[in-house]
Amino acid sequence: MGRMILQVRDLVMRLRSGGREVAILDGVNLDVAARETVAVTGPSGSGKSTLLGLIAGLDRPTAGSIVLDGVEITTLDENRLARLRRDRVGFVFQSYHLIPTLTAIENVAMPLELAGRPHRLERARELLDTVGLVGRADHYPSQLSGGEQQRVAIARALALRPPLVLADEPTGNLDSATGAQIIELLLALNREHGSTLVLVTHDEALAARGQRIVALRDGRVVGAA
Amino acid sequence: MIALVLRLAWRETRAGWRHLVVLVVCVALGVTALVAVTGFAGNLDRALAREGKSLIGGDVELRSPRPLDTETEAALASLVARGATIARVRELAAMARHPRRPSTLLVELKAVGEGYPLYGRLETRPARPLGELLAGDGALADETALTRLGVAIGDSVLVGDVMLVIRGVILNEPDRAGRIISFGPRLLVAGPTLDRAGLIRLGSRVNHRTLLRLPDALEAAAVRAQLAGVISDPSVRVSAFDEGRPGWRRFYSQLTSYLGLVGMASLLVGGVGVAAAVRAFVARKRDTIAILKCLGATSRLLLAAYLVQAAGLGLVGSLAGALLGVALAPLVGSLLSGLVPLALETRLEAWGLLRGVAIGTGLTMLIALWPLGEVRAASPSLLFRRDVEGNAPWPTRRWLAALPLVAGAGALVLWQAVSLTVGAIFLGAVAAALLVLALLARALAWLGRRRPRFPSLALRQGLANLARPGGHGVGVVVALGIGVMLLVAVGLLEASLGQQLDLERRREAPSFFFVDIQPGQRERFESIVRDVSGVTPAVTPVVRARLAALDGHAITRALVEQRRGRGDDGIGYFTRDYVLTAASALPAGNVVTVGHWWSNGATAAHEASVEEAAARHLGLAVGSSIAFDVQGVRLEARVTSLRQVDWQSLTTNFFVILSPGTLDGAPTSYVATARVAPNAEAAVQDAVVQALPNVTAIPLRDVLERLGRVLDQMAVAVRTMALFAISAGLVVMAGALGASRYQRLVESVILRTLGATRSTVARVFAVEYACLGLAAGVGGSVLAAVLAWAVLRFVLDAPWVLAPLALALGLAVPTAVALAVGSLATWRLLGEKPLPVLRRE
Repeated sequence: MGRMILQVRDLVMRLRSGGREVAILDGVNLDVAARETVAVTGPSGSGKSTLLGLIAGLDRPTAGSIVLDGVEITTLDENRLARLRRDRVGFVFQSYHLIPTLTAIENVAMPLELAGRPHRLERARELLDTVGLVGRADHYPSQLSGGEQQRVAIARALALRPPLVLADEPTGNLDSATGAQIIELLLALNREHGSTLVLVTHDEALAARGQRIVALRDGRVVGAA
Repeated sequence: MIALVLRLAWRETRAGWRHLVVLVVCVALGVTALVAVTGFAGNLDRALAREGKSLIGGDVELRSPRPLDTETEAALASLVARGATIARVRELAAMARHPRRPSTLLVELKAVGEGYPLYGRLETRPARPLGELLAGDGALADETALTRLGVAIGDSVLVGDVMLVIRGVILNEPDRAGRIISFGPRLLVAGPTLDRAGLIRLGSRVNHRTLLRLPDALEAAAVRAQLAGVISDPSVRVSAFDEGRPGWRRFYSQLTSYLGLVGMASLLVGGVGVAAAVRAFVARKRDTIAILKCLGATSRLLLAAYLVQAAGLGLVGSLAGALLGVALAPLVGSLLSGLVPLALETRLEAWGLLRGVAIGTGLTMLIALWPLGEVRAASPSLLFRRDVEGNAPWPTRRWLAALPLVAGAGALVLWQAVSLTVGAIFLGAVAAALLVLALLARALAWLGRRRPRFPSLALRQGLANLARPGGHGVGVVVALGIGVMLLVAVGLLEASLGQQLDLERRREAPSFFFVDIQPGQRERFESIVRDVSGVTPAVTPVVRARLAALDGHAITRALVEQRRGRGDDGIGYFTRDYVLTAASALPAGNVVTVGHWWSNGATAAHEASVEEAAARHLGLAVGSSIAFDVQGVRLEARVTSLRQVDWQSLTTNFFVILSPGTLDGAPTSYVATARVAPNAEAAVQDAVVQALPNVTAIPLRDVLERLGRVLDQMAVAVRTMALFAISAGLVVMAGALGASRYQRLVESVILRTLGATRSTVARVFAVEYACLGLAAGVGGSVLAAVLAWAVLRFVLDAPWVLAPLALALGLAVPTAVALAVGSLATWRLLGEKPLPVLRRE
């Protein structure tokens, strides 16, 4: 096994809900090597999305540690986390989450812009080309189909060539044919860029496309394959 | 980084400008009001500067209650030797009378000497040289004087002992501007004519003006300083043309400052709109903010971008408002035209524009800062499907964001206000208004949530709508309520002051002041008044004097100038002419606050009782000594009491009263007051003046009416400015209606799907809007009553009067307006077909 890009140790997340404390994650351990493709599965409520959110540093765990690309992120402040996300993590969401007021190319250019990279629009155009959407560069999200929007989102996630890509049910809102295309694209680009992919899904078939499956239930890892 | 902030700000504006129009309009309205007022003030300042010389009548003017002494005349003579020109003018109140009919009139008599006017032009009809018109007891008069006396050009008029011939009408008198209220119309004669009229007698109050025109080599300020050094008598006021009339200027700077505060209130109401617009904007942008954070944007970057956006919109609104304000400045001028006897010209003034733009933009940013705190709070984890409700922490820094707003707005208001008291009242009023109105709106929402069991569906549902989540009730009630507060407060103030100025209601006030009654005329005067009206006048002996020394320190010009340099606002107490009287009993309306009134058995020692404010400014306490100069004779007394005087009583009141016997032997004349029946007023005045031509009768009714007209004009001006606040309030309401349009559309469709008729739905919305308007009306009116009370009590020192009409209008009008605006905005919703709307849901 190669270098570890992600090490999660004894991760606990408790939230108050309806007046009592609920353990969403209850001692999760997970190691992901560089260039690996891992699928996290589990029924709804098992804590998949919370795990993904914590790995991205979008929330602070109750206990445990997360080391991302050699950096312990549970102790970073908001601004350092924002920069870490910008430089090392790409996101793909179930509901795409493109910025509705920006065109496709502007959406893809946004991470480049936030990182202060030159030639952002040229680079964004290349990226749109790799997802086959260069012809729709100046369309707004509302003018694109679901599959097209997700492809724009993938182009955006890969714009800065992050070492880690997190995908949260990326095909959840798509029909199965389009979903399959999107997964193909995601895996292909991942290979091409040499990045690591952590994919959350409850679709067994989809999960099987990854190199490894981590199954969650009630906030614990119950199996790995 | 900066480029990125600007790009983000621009893109967000590009996509959402429709929702931001409310913000721009709100800022623009507030800035318009503010800039219109400052623009007017600027126009006035320029006019004063331009016409400074004709306004005071020369490069330098000397005003004195007595003829100038020899050392002053010597100084003037040396200036004449160096090329200066001098013109002398005397002004006094006097009575003019018809030679045959019993018709008399109080006039402002002005006697001019050679050379007048030095600057500007005295325009007359017919246009003839002044010397020719005034020769041989010729006179010029205002048109009103002729009308009221019933004479025409060529007719004769009696003044004192002299018969004048009216030779023409005065169309424009260059140095008459500069007084807010006059006693009566002008009558202009030559100097020798006044001398022969026999009007200037014991106790006469004459204003001796000496006007100087200087050659180019002499500078006005230098000559003023030189004369001030030579003239020891501090009651001689020396002013250079560029200082103008300080009292007049003060009046206008106060007036414009009050108007500016009303403009400020409009801006603050607009601020409520800004806050509401930014809040709605951020709420709509929650997802975008979360995505950007996911992509690595820091909170600071986003905050900066949205703040830049707010500033940009504020700038656009402020620029539009500033330009509109400059265009509207003449409107303020024309509202006050009766008070501004100068031609004003509008000019685009860089500083005024800049100031308006800076205030508008700055305030927008300060106000936006608060709702923008949400940007920090918006968590990117929002984007993940969460199993449990997010636990986004309440941003503690949110309250810190309110601090710069409070500090900034407070500083702006204090900058705008005349005095700390006025600024404090205004800030207190704004804070109280925000609090009371917000609480009222919350109470309404609470009532809505309780779903009180009214039998009517419309009432029940309309109230429930007020509790709509994310509702804009608070903003609407606050914004409308502040406008209502301003308008009703003006109405209440007018009612209270109007009653003060209504002679019929002031039964204790006299109808006349008679002045300059000579010692030998007293009995005759009393019997005339008694015979004509059946009323015995109250006659008081008076002695005119000037202040000579306090506690042994002579009152010199040096001392007065020194105090002036320190910014003392009580200089007038040192330089004024004092009217003294001696009395054994404490006059009605006077209360001794320190020391004791002398006992009835006359004391041998000379004692004085001094009015509180005068004592404070003069630095007098019980035990101090005070000395007067009565026509060259020194008169000294010891202060044994301080008095509070009810100046509102409108009767004869004195700054200094002396113990009986103190004024024995001093040159005494008499003043008198009498309250006669309204239909006897003219007869009394005519009879007194026909018999005693030197006695001046000042009819209080006229004076009060003149004052009333001035107040009316100011009220109209203030009201007009308050309309901007109301308009801003309506824009806020329209914005709120626009923001909740979709929500209300769905509500109306659901109600109709459930079987409600269109008119039922309309009634539901009507109840909602009427409640908002009524809450603004109730809150605004109650606040107005408190504000009016505070202004009357602490600024104007006048009693508070309940004005039911103003309060009733304060309730009815906002309710009706809210109902109208709401219905207009909702009308179209009622026509929408339900099915497509439900499908969209």
